[in-house]
Amino acid sequence: MSDQFSEQLLNLFCGLFLLTAVGVLWRREVSALITLLTAQGLMLTGIAVVLATRHRSAEAFAIALGIGLLKAGVVPWMLRRVRRQVPAARETRPLVNVSASLIAAAGLTLVAYAAAKPLVALAPSASAHATPVGIAVVLLGFFLAATRQRAISQIIGVLLIDNGVAAVAFLATGGVPLIVELGVSADLALAVLVLQILTSRLHQAFGPTDLDELRELRD
Amino acid sequence: MSWVVAVAQMLLVAVLAPFTIGVTKAVRARLEGRAGGRFGQPWRDLRKLLRKPPISPADAGMFFLAAPPVLMATSLIVAFTAPFVTTVGVGGSADLIVVVGVLLLGTVALALAGLDTGTAFGGMGSSREMAIAALVEPTLLLSVFALSTRVGTTSLGRIVEAGASDPARVFTPTSLLALAALGIAVLAETGRIPVDNPSTHLELTMVHEAMTLEYAGRDLAQVEWASAMRLTILLGLLGNLFVPWGVATELSPGWLAFGAVALVVKVLGLAALLAAGEVFLAKLRLFRMPELLAGSFALALLAVLASTILA
Amino acid sequence: MTTTLALAAPAAAPLLAALLALVLPWRTAAVVGVAAAVTILAGGVILATRVTGEPAVRGLVRADALTTWMLIVIGAVATLATASAIAYLRPESAVERRRYLVLTQLFLGCMSMAVLADNLGLLWVAIEATTIVTAFLVGHRRTRESVEAAWKYVVLCSVGVAIAFLGTVCIYAASVAAGGSGATALNWSYLTGHTAGLDPALVRLATGLILLGFGTKAGLAPMHAWLPDAHSQAPAPVSALMSGVLLSVAFYAILRYKAITDAVIGPAYTRILLIIGALASLAVAAILLIAQRDYKRMLAYSSIEHMGLIALGAAFGVQLAMAAVLLHVLGHGLAKSVAFCASGRILTTTGSPAIAAVRGMAARHPSLAATFGVSAVALLGLPPFSLFASELGIARGGFAAGHGWIVAVAFTLMLIAFAAIARHVLGMLLGPPTPPAFPPEEGGGPRPDGTSGKGGAASLGVLAAGLAVAALLGVWLGPLADLLDTAAAIATGGR
Repeated sequence: MSDQFSEQLLNLFCGLFLLTAVGVLWRREVSALITLLTAQGLMLTGIAVVLATRHRSAEAFAIALGIGLLKAGVVPWMLRRVRRQVPAARETRPLVNVSASLIAAAGLTLVAYAAAKPLVALAPSASAHATPVGIAVVLLGFFLAATRQRAISQIIGVLLIDNGVAAVAFLATGGVPLIVELGVSADLALAVLVLQILTSRLHQAFGPTDLDELRELRD
Repeated sequence: MSWVVAVAQMLLVAVLAPFTIGVTKAVRARLEGRAGGRFGQPWRDLRKLLRKPPISPADAGMFFLAAPPVLMATSLIVAFTAPFVTTVGVGGSADLIVVVGVLLLGTVALALAGLDTGTAFGGMGSSREMAIAALVEPTLLLSVFALSTRVGTTSLGRIVEAGASDPARVFTPTSLLALAALGIAVLAETGRIPVDNPSTHLELTMVHEAMTLEYAGRDLAQVEWASAMRLTILLGLLGNLFVPWGVATELSPGWLAFGAVALVVKVLGLAALLAAGEVFLAKLRLFRMPELLAGSFALALLAVLASTILA
Repeated sequence: MTTTLALAAPAAAPLLAALLALVLPWRTAAVVGVAAAVTILAGGVILATRVTGEPAVRGLVRADALTTWMLIVIGAVATLATASAIAYLRPESAVERRRYLVLTQLFLGCMSMAVLADNLGLLWVAIEATTIVTAFLVGHRRTRESVEAAWKYVVLCSVGVAIAFLGTVCIYAASVAAGGSGATALNWSYLTGHTAGLDPALVRLATGLILLGFGTKAGLAPMHAWLPDAHSQAPAPVSALMSGVLLSVAFYAILRYKAITDAVIGPAYTRILLIIGALASLAVAAILLIAQRDYKRMLAYSSIEHMGLIALGAAFGVQLAMAAVLLHVLGHGLAKSVAFCASGRILTTTGSPAIAAVRGMAARHPSLAATFGVSAVALLGLPPFSLFASELGIARGGFAAGHGWIVAVAFTLMLIAFAAIARHVLGMLLGPPTPPAFPPEEGGGPRPDGTSGKGGAASLGVLAAGLAVAALLGVWLGPLADLLDTAAAIATGGR
């Protein structure tokens, strides 16, 4: 792969990575959200593969493969299971309406650009230049988790944050060490599992209500 | 020489426009399991309308009378100056912002005409059209801006030329985001599903049709033809900006012929794609429209950001 | 050899106990669990004698004085919590007992792993793992309240800890750019030795993210929203572990990062952020304690208050304040775990979590009332308990560092909290005994006396021993004094 081509590819994956995050804010149907998240997992895998090719390291390839399996395979599969348990899960009343949250998304991307300046300044390479994309996805995940009412939307918000952090890790450093990556991935998979189980318990305890109605505990 | 080429390009777009509409209608009919008309059917309709004298409503004023020629003129000017077949000479001298402005002039003219008739439908259509236009224009300008930062100029000819000479630069996150934004903006601007349904006259939903309801005869022919040209122009621009191959970068007859063929293929291909897409979409409720348009605006803004972040 | 064993045992013993809990009968498994907790304590003590000069390093695992101090805290509190869990588990069903025993042991293993990890990435992994393991412990009772608490806990802490990972990535990026490579570049020992090359702007960004992320897990305001819910809904021994050690382990992570960032960008930036978090925590706790109606929530808010105080001491950053912070971690761990375990007993006895429903405990259950009352006295920071000494140390450290006004504000807020807790606890203990909210039923419902039975008395004995240790530490540190000094020096970046 020539340098220029791999740079193009990397930029392409980063662009689509951000685009899928915006798409998650845009759509309300849970099945569409899961599809977008799968696509985002694939883009992340793409970024990891491009960087692994550039570094020519077997370890990086292994990480990329693992990320692909986890983010585009296991996690969406678990989310589909959540969706089966909680039918008719559709984001009906987000705290911030969709148009406003899309505008906010653009604003958050600006913030991410400002926040990522030190990371970009560190190494003036193409991949480092793309780190604001990762931080933007983290912020979008934050926004989603904070403004959406459905349990599954919040899970997706958490996953967006995680994808964003993983993207920053790849773009800024070429990936964290294998041992750390393994631990992080295991933690993520377990966290989604826990959230899946809790979602069904919430559903049993509260019925198909919004999380906004979780008001048993307060001062 | 270049003037001749530009006039030829304008004529090509004008001739092509009804066929574009014909293709969308035919493809859509075929996909929906209907027989549908032939590709040339819109031409026959236009010919028939052009033979009939126009009738104006009793209360209509000069805006109503002026709108069809103004609309026609704006479409022709863009077809004359924008780089459809070639980026050299007059056809290629257009500035992106000027093109957006000229097209907007046509929109405003038609909206004023809709108000001028004094009928309920005309006013309703105009107000809806203006609401949509107000949301679409910023998107158009922003996505155009994102594309122009890549080249450092807002000249359409230079942007297309840069794309044609260096295809790798076309597939950047910036241009993908801009493509998504511009695509939605084009749908809104030309009144296609999911923003407006061109084949309905249902009062609850129609936008464009409501404004043209009072036109008849030659005037209606002009409005329809100009609208068809707008669709052709926007599809052509979309094609040339994101699939810039085949555009003539020099004024030799061989190149020009190839460029013309490429344009026809691109526009008709995009029209078929548009029609195929429309089959799977439903028209959005009017109150959901800001959501879609805000989405495209966000995409355009992201495109601008990406052009500064990733460049 | 002994060192290697002592390094491996604190993490390995609980994991082994978790495996055994899957097969053994629950009573034996619970005793094995206590043994595992004692192993952590023993591991800490053995390491403490070995690492006074040089830290012990085995691959990704590393122990210095700060590590061993934390291990001792974990071991001591875990011993209290596991021992009193036996009485707690008796009325539970077989499946619940098993799940409880397995998860608490995994929880202990993760915390030991966190403090033993040299690699900051592993530290993160271990802390995130505690969230996952404790999620089901918080939601143990499956009521609406506990499921809600578990949900908030997992979502907020996962998000918070993800932010901390972003900070870790930033540190790693800075380290790689400065010439580090592979897993070594994220080792604390490597980073503290190579602070010169780290990019200050990036480290500044990382500091903010780390404080935000691990601060969430440590229960610092304004990221504390999950804490009162989770701590009040979890089974009492788990609340004891979460409040007594988990918060401190998360704060330990902040201390480790602080040692690096202080060397790169100076202490001022971290100090300001920590002081903001500390004062916010104290204010939130003081305000919400006044009108508190639930005694487990009261204890949870008291934890926020104490974490605020710990953050304040760490912000001052002088040796005296840091030593006081570490002592406070131990004293608070002991006293708070005793208080939570006792409150669990009160809950089983009275059947109501409301402060108003508990009256005249001293007359009806004297031993339980005494345990709860004394632990509350310890938490209020009265002598002779070690919390008095450590609070004094933090205040003196603050004045020494020239932050007298901040100390004044903080102690005013603490005075409000003091008055609120004292009023609530006195109300619960004194006054005429009221009949229970509903009469005891056959089988289910509250038992007439929480202290009845052999196990009940034995576990109260354990709690009393915990309080005795906390009191002893207040007057005489003994051999721990040297360890505390060294650990404080490491935390201030002096070593």
